[in-house]
Parts: sequence; C-alpha cells; structure tokens
Amino acid sequence: MTKEEKIFNKNILIAVDESENARRAVSYVGQFLGGLEGFKVTILHVVPEPEEDYFPTSAEKEKWLTQYRQKIDAMLEDSRQLLIKNGFDPEDVAVRSTLRYCPSMAECILSERDETEYSTIVVGRQGLSRKEEFLFGSISSKVVNHARNCTVWVVE
Amino acid sequence: MITHPSHENLKQMVSRWIPPHQVPQRFRIHTDTSDFIRVEYDDVVILNGRPYLIRHNAKEQRFGLEDEDKFWVKRAIDLEDGNLKIMKLVFYERFMSRIGDIEFECFRSPKKEARILDLVSGHKNFMHGYSIQDEKENLIRILDFIRGKPLSTYVANMGMDHEVYYYEEFQGIMDHFIECVQAIRFLHENGERHGDIRRDHILIDRESGRYRWIDFDSNYWHRENIYGYDLFGLGNVLVFLVGMGDVLLRDLKREGHPSLGTLSEADLNLVFNNRVVNLKKIYPYIPDSLNRVLMHFSRGANWFYENTVQLLDDLAECKNDN
Repeated sequence: MTKEEKIFNKNILIAVDESENARRAVSYVGQFLGGLEGFKVTILHVVPEPEEDYFPTSAEKEKWLTQYRQKIDAMLEDSRQLLIKNGFDPEDVAVRSTLRYCPSMAECILSERDETEYSTIVVGRQGLSRKEEFLFGSISSKVVNHARNCTVWVVE
Repeated sequence: MITHPSHENLKQMVSRWIPPHQVPQRFRIHTDTSDFIRVEYDDVVILNGRPYLIRHNAKEQRFGLEDEDKFWVKRAIDLEDGNLKIMKLVFYERFMSRIGDIEFECFRSPKKEARILDLVSGHKNFMHGYSIQDEKENLIRILDFIRGKPLSTYVANMGMDHEVYYYEEFQGIMDHFIECVQAIRFLHENGERHGDIRRDHILIDRESGRYRWIDFDSNYWHRENIYGYDLFGLGNVLVFLVGMGDVLLRDLKREGHPSLGTLSEADLNLVFNNRVVNLKKIYPYIPDSLNRVLMHFSRGANWFYENTVQLLDDLAECKNDN
C-alpha cells in the first residue's frame, strides 16, 4: 500500500524587516521563482506593538507608529517591485503589515502562517554573532525550530 | 481640594524626626516635581497631601569609578511616620548600552517600575513601595528604604581564602541566590523583566537576611529572546558568587597562577573577554555540575539558557551534588 503523497501549495510567505538580509531573501525568491507559473507570494512585515513603557505619552507612541508604518509601507512596496522586476505577475505579489504584540517575532510570523495557507516561509539570516544570538535570540533560528506543517527557507 | 501644611506645621513635623539644629527655618515646597534637579536637600515634596522631607541624592555605583549622583532619586523622610524612603522622580531617558561589543537600546520607565512594585508587593525577594502622581501627573515611586549591603560588596569583602569561602559560606549564599532566580522567574511568568540585573542590584536586608532585588525602572528594546539579557545578568551574578568576586585574567597573570596555561578562549565569559567562567580550572574543588552551569555563560557554550526554569533545574541538581 502506498502512502498518499502530501500536497504542497505554491504559496510563499516572505517575512521581512528593514534589514539587508531581508532584502536578500526577497531577491532570492525573485531570482529563483520569478517567471514561473503558479507561485503566489506575500511579503509580510509584523510591526511589533511597541511596549507602553518605551514612550512617555500615548501621543508619542502614536506618532512613532505613524512614522514607522510609513517607512514600512515604502519598504514593502520596494520589495514587491523587486519581485515584479524579476518576473512575478503583479497580481501574484501581495504585501501585508500587521501590528501585533510580539514578545517573540518568530512566533508572530509563525502564527501569521498558521492563519493562512502557505507551504513555504522565507526569512533572511540575520547574521548575528554567536554571543548576540545567545543574548538576544535569533528570529530565523526560532522560526526553523518551531515551524510545523511548512518548509522554511533561510536565505544567507 | 488638598490643603498643604503651613511652614510652622512642617517645622513641627520635621522636628519629630531630625535633631533640632538640623531643622530648616523655611521650606521650599514642591507639588510638581517635573524639574527634579530643583528638588534639593531640605525641600519638602507633598504628594497627595503627604509631606516628605528631601535628603541626599542616591548614588549609582560605577565599577572602578567614583559613584555618580542620581539626581532623580532622593532619600526622603515621610514626615507623617518618620520612615526613611527612597523617592524616585520621573526621568525618561533612552540610551545605547554596551556589553562587550554588543550595543542595544535601553530606556528608563517609571510606568514599568510602578507596575512591578504592585506585582511584587509583599514578595520577600524584592524591594517594596508604591507609586503616586504629583500634581502634574508625574509617576513618582516611593520605596521602603532597605538597610543592608549590596551583595557585590558583601562577597567582595569576604577577605578569606576561596576554599574556606566555598566550603563555609558559599552554600548559604547560593540558597539565597536561588531564591533570587525564583523571584526573577516570578517576574518573567508575569510578563515582566527586571531589565538591569547586576550584583549590586541585590541588597541583603539586614533585618530579614533576605536577598532583595532593587531598581526595576530599566528596560531594553528586546529582540527575539525577551528575557535573554536578564538571564545573562543572572549568569554573571552566579559566576561572581562562585568565584568570590570576578576572576580576571589580568590578576591570574599577575599572580603567575599555575592554571593560566590551561585556560583557553572557551573558558572566558561569553561577552567580557577578561573574566574567567570556567572556575573549576582555578578552583578544582568546584563540583562538575556547578561548573557546567557556569559554562553556559562562557564563550565555549553551545547552548544558552532560554528561561529561568532551565537555570533553576540545573541549580537544583547542583544542590543535590553537594
């Protein structure tokens, strides 16, 4: 008796921030899959809900968030254009930014994936030193360790 | 409307708690502490009708340097009951902090400290106090004054041979330290972090003998591991306690210590290049189980603690080995 083959979809979630590594991840997907039929990409940025403690007043927090969102919207559009330039149909590239309380960014990315249908997550490696990884943790390592029911590409 | 005591009233109140020749003739009264530099010795701060006589500024201990005044932290006498308090006025600051060559953003938050004070009310291993707003809604923290030495001073001044310290003193210190780690676990379980874990941020309460965490207003812009920096702080305190102070490469070289040649980079602190973490090489009677815990904070580590529960489990195992 043969086992039923698992079906993987062609939906890809690229989790990005403002770093060079994230841009490399987008570029990789563009070069690797651009021009191929059937792939749909969402470029995701999770905006970490800033801690209340960081701002003396809620007005300052709102101001910070507005500026941050503008910056992120521009970055996401730039990433989208990079994929289109590499052969993706504009209709197959979506962007999404979402504000979340994020004690762990990796867990936020993974819960975004759980809410949608992506067989593949792509992240850039942050290039942390070992001691930085020890002290502050690595998003890509945690995504790799905790991801279930999907494949993770870590772009160097 | 809240009425304030007159100068005559204040004089009477003050004279109950300090010697007559020290009682000021006039008082500068503050109900708005926004400009904390202007709040000076012998002034009175009135919060929700309760007067506090301001004494000296607190000082920040700086390793190897002269202590620095913290102008936003004052000693004060609660004029209603005569108790000595620490009054922390509102000071927001953001700054880049460095540990070794790693830079990260830190900030000071009165809200965080006020929240933690509520959380740890009655907990034996924390400082206690409450927060109150002045008339401009500055969130001031009024802390009970803890009489006692910082743990750092206590251990550094032991003045005994390490082996004697290890066999006669260390176990007791370790028991208290485990309580401190449990206290940090309590914070983490409640979604809070200490933010500035240092050996001088544990005071040994002279009355109860308990070790108590102080200073919760520091915070940092966390990355993936929200509690990683707190854990690193706990590791550094532990290494300090096991070593009866910092075991520095510089000192070993100066002494021509026989184990010097056996030390490699992997035996040093993960971040501070001059501190030895593999203390068993220096003090061979340290049990393997304890040394293994220390080595998690070394450059040679291939696995780092992710939470206090893991650290506590390992420390419990060390206790069983003793």
